[in-house]
Amino acid sequence: MSATFRKTEIILLGILAFIALVLLPALNAWTPPESFFHISNFTINLYGKYLSYAVLAISVDLLWGFTGLLSLGQCLFFSLGGYAFGMYLALKVGKLGQYKQDLPDFMVFLGYKELPAHWEPFRHFWFAASASALVPALVALAFGYLAFRAKIRGVYFSILTQALTYAGCLMFFQNSFMFGGNNGLTDFKFVLGHDIRNAATQRGLYIATGALLFLTYIFCRWLTQSKFGKIQRAVRDSENRVLFSGYAAPNYKLFVFVIAAAIAGLAGALYVPQVGIINPSEMATDKSLEAIVWVAVGGRGTLVGPVVGAFAVNALKSWATRAFPDLWLIILGGMFTLVVLFMPKGLVGLPGQLYSLWQKISRRRTNAPPDGDTSFPEAPSDHQNPNPES
Amino acid sequence: MPKDFILSAEGVTKSFDGFKAIDDLSFYLDEGELRTIIGPNGAGKSTFLDLITGKTRPDIGKIEFKGTPITKRSEYQIYRMGIGRKFQTPSVFANHTVYDNILLGLEGRRGVWSTLLFGRTSTEQRDRIYDILKTINLAHKANEQAGTLAYGQKQWLEIGMLLAQNPQLLLIDEPAAGMTDEETVKTGELILSLAGKHTIIVIEHDMVFVRQLNSKVTVLHQGHVLREGTLDEVRNDERVIEVYLGRKKNV
Amino acid sequence: MTVIVLRKHTHWVVFYFCLLAGVLIFEHPLYAQAPTLREALAEVLPSDTTAHDRFFNQLAAAEKFDDTTRNLLILWRNEELMLYTDAAGKAIPVSIDTPDANGKSHLFSVATGQALNDAAGAPVLAEASALTPIDSDATLRKKIQRAMDLADISSANPDTRKLAARKLGTSQRKENLSLLEARLLKESDKSVRKSLAEACALIRLTDFSSPKTQIAAANELAELDCLGATEALRALAANDQMDISVRKAAAKAQKSIRDYKDLVNFFGTIFRGTSLGSILLVAALGLAVTFGLMGIINMAHGEMITVGAYAAYVVENIFRNGLALSPLGIPISIPGMHAGEGLFQWYFAVAIPVSFCAAALAGLIIERLVICHLYQRALESLLATWGISLVLQQLFRVVFGANNVQVNSPSWLMGNFTVSDVTLGYNRLFVIAFAVLIVVGTWLLLSKTRLGLLIRSVTQDRDMAACMGVPTRRVNMLTFAFGSGLAGLAGAFLSQIGNVGPGLGQNFIVDNFMTVVVGGVGSIVGTVISALSIGISDQVLQQILESPVLGKIMVLIAIILFLQWKPSGLFPTRSRSLDS
Repeated sequence: MSATFRKTEIILLGILAFIALVLLPALNAWTPPESFFHISNFTINLYGKYLSYAVLAISVDLLWGFTGLLSLGQCLFFSLGGYAFGMYLALKVGKLGQYKQDLPDFMVFLGYKELPAHWEPFRHFWFAASASALVPALVALAFGYLAFRAKIRGVYFSILTQALTYAGCLMFFQNSFMFGGNNGLTDFKFVLGHDIRNAATQRGLYIATGALLFLTYIFCRWLTQSKFGKIQRAVRDSENRVLFSGYAAPNYKLFVFVIAAAIAGLAGALYVPQVGIINPSEMATDKSLEAIVWVAVGGRGTLVGPVVGAFAVNALKSWATRAFPDLWLIILGGMFTLVVLFMPKGLVGLPGQLYSLWQKISRRRTNAPPDGDTSFPEAPSDHQNPNPES
Repeated sequence: MPKDFILSAEGVTKSFDGFKAIDDLSFYLDEGELRTIIGPNGAGKSTFLDLITGKTRPDIGKIEFKGTPITKRSEYQIYRMGIGRKFQTPSVFANHTVYDNILLGLEGRRGVWSTLLFGRTSTEQRDRIYDILKTINLAHKANEQAGTLAYGQKQWLEIGMLLAQNPQLLLIDEPAAGMTDEETVKTGELILSLAGKHTIIVIEHDMVFVRQLNSKVTVLHQGHVLREGTLDEVRNDERVIEVYLGRKKNV
Repeated sequence: MTVIVLRKHTHWVVFYFCLLAGVLIFEHPLYAQAPTLREALAEVLPSDTTAHDRFFNQLAAAEKFDDTTRNLLILWRNEELMLYTDAAGKAIPVSIDTPDANGKSHLFSVATGQALNDAAGAPVLAEASALTPIDSDATLRKKIQRAMDLADISSANPDTRKLAARKLGTSQRKENLSLLEARLLKESDKSVRKSLAEACALIRLTDFSSPKTQIAAANELAELDCLGATEALRALAANDQMDISVRKAAAKAQKSIRDYKDLVNFFGTIFRGTSLGSILLVAALGLAVTFGLMGIINMAHGEMITVGAYAAYVVENIFRNGLALSPLGIPISIPGMHAGEGLFQWYFAVAIPVSFCAAALAGLIIERLVICHLYQRALESLLATWGISLVLQQLFRVVFGANNVQVNSPSWLMGNFTVSDVTLGYNRLFVIAFAVLIVVGTWLLLSKTRLGLLIRSVTQDRDMAACMGVPTRRVNMLTFAFGSGLAGLAGAFLSQIGNVGPGLGQNFIVDNFMTVVVGGVGSIVGTVISALSIGISDQVLQQILESPVLGKIMVLIAIILFLQWKPSGLFPTRSRSLDS
């Protein structure tokens, strides 16, 4: 039984956190723009976006990689968090909007005279910030309770979360739902009294996102290493066996689902001020699947994988959408298909995969007979079905 | 009638798409008893265990454990009442270590919050796990993935998980399948050593093994009880012979 | 400016068609016998207002109002009739045809319809400028229009009669009442009689001198379920200068008609829902085959629909003028057949099998390249096929452009007919009928053919089937291709109902999966029932909630709640390979 964190891991984490949270912002703030070491505002903003994607990716992996729940609804929770914080930002625009009124522009446009009641509390930063985690968590709780109670599993769960996301997306597209319709919320001016376009503010947001990623990582690391984590993975591998071991698998799944929703919501809340807009297209199922691509490419079932994947795929996207705008989706789709087919463990698992491949090749070259141990016929790995014959 | 039976089933029927897997079955088990259930394929043996453990629910009839109806409870609730089961095909957590498998089986609180906040393994628990691992002969494989074990070892690991649970009622489905003769004998000894402390139902095809257990035998046929008695009584029953004829002449 | 140009343009089109029709009709022996109406018209044309009015009265009382006269009236109204002064100095009203190369036209007598000949028997040719135009002023044009409206109730065409009766009824002009009553006595067509009776009642409703007549009229309108009368009845009921009994009767009649209207709307909704459900059904049936029978989550199923729709688009263009595409700057040109109208009607008959085959082929390729590695791994199949779906969508964009394209329907799919005020579109009827055929066909294929037997065996236990010598690889391939082909058919239908774009299939994928899940995976009966109920409840809820989006959301919520009650759908199948 190893402790939650190994020594090397702590050192490595410390170095990475130092680079991401201290070094890069410092280089951005205190080096002259022409210096070789300078990190531009654009880069900081871009990395800040990637960091919030990485948090989202961890939440996806917590569900998919560790619990076997392939949720297509993570972007819904991400957007809900984004909207909650976006509401705060929209209210802080004040009279600086196009219509020079206290209400957000879209409400003026729709002919509203007063702020709807459900918008009122979002004037307060702390309310909005906690709502960005709590609202997704509550939605996840309600939906998850129903879904897990009905023993909806596997692909059925995926399909149902897809439907949920679709419904949410349709709802937010409606003007009468009072969240800005298909334009969403945008043209933000201030966050906590600072000009949102100011480089220092963006740097602050970047650091906050980095800190969130750091905390999320440590929290998930602790969660997955605990006894809870063992049961969580047991649910993934053989839910029936877990049930017959006396654990209420539905409750475990619900817990993870709610936690993952809250994490995704927080990621969304930090994403919105950095990109300056939140609209319903962020909720399309495709966005959830894109986040799943990051996890698949990075390596699911690990906590490093999602972070690596989020950075790698998005960096590739930034480059490819400029270099081959027509082909980007073909690259993404093709890459994803190939990863699913040939790289089940993703980039993180690639060295191990290549190593065993190399072993196989070198063994064949030396014409050595196959290992005696492996020739023993393996029992059918039908552990999903503890009792196939009645 | 139901005095102090630990398990009683009365008038239980379960059909799948019109096929009656269990047909008006009544079954009573005393506390501390060791019972062997035999019967040809499709007699409804495993379905009966499914009904007890909550995997499926009966169409009609009631099943009581220590006087409490359990037909409406979920699998994990039934487990927590003290009914443990070893499945026909060994089902262990393949991606967990052997040690973790026993750990997850260990009796104790099973709620989300308690595993999250009080999930640390105490020294006593660790000792207990190693005791069990020794009993099932897997101490040397404690840190290996359960999926890499041989078939018979998986069977034992699953029995080990049952031991860790320490349930009042043990349901053991074909424990000897895939074991060598030597292992089978050992398994039999293990089960006999548990008898008395626990109430046990064993389902088995291997007649040598059944003889070793030397318990009261229930013969199931087409979903209901054909005969109950000692192995010798059952062997000489006309109807039982008829049912088994051509399949197990050597009985 | 444009409006004027357009109107001018319309003139010429109308003119041309009138002439064309005229020429065709004139050759008919029946009309050669100089109908009196046109002779009368010829007589009054050069004359004054009194003569005109006399003619209009004659027209209104006419037994039969033929199209020729109608066309002439239109020409008159449009100032396209001329006076030709012949050698004897007699002014003859004429119509002219399209000028020849010298700018000269043939002249046709209004009275006879015959081309004018000179003394030598040669046709007279004249430039339009050499003729005297017959002017009309606004008053006259109005009169002509009204005379036509009145005369239309004597038209040979029942639909024209019906329309005319409605128009006269809605205008509620008392002076038309006697005419309508007279016509009602003569009318033989049942539906025209109803319209005429409605028109009479509507006009009587304005008889302010006799409350009794008004009440009777209101009751009659209610009895006739006259949908056009609601506005008039509402106004009457709200009119506080009216007798209270009249207002009550009007309100009662209005309510009765509104109830009837609700009923009509309800059946209309059911019909639209059924047709929507049918399309959903055809697509979902394909998914029921791939998902239900094979356990493969094909996220690219929507793109199979799109393949089918684009296939129909390509076939349509081949029948017309061909298609020029330039994916990534590589020009590809597909030659067209330049088919005439008659042949073009048949393009859809070709498009249906082509759509099926195109989508089936696409499915086959996907199965061979990707899916064959993913049997038993449902979640992975979901992810891999989503990748394929992205690739395909982008390919559509690259090949056919990002914008929607329009596929023209053959004319036999465009009309509609009405049963008790419920409008039934041919395209929707066709879709329903075809869906029935496809369901029956699929059911027969699965239950009666050898291939069906093999498919079912692979469904139940792939390994066992393989052991029994079933060529599972080939069966998988064919099943998947068949399922994809069905999606292609759905695409072909969708191309007839709306536009075709790269994201077409995406709109259906959620609905499709829901349909299969609700129906019970692997159950064709379940898929049929759930597709129809989802389609219908979608339409009904849209109507009740007055918002398509809210309706859709309600359906989704209803489905989620439904699965609480029946987690494995309406008709759960006990296939062990699907448990997990």
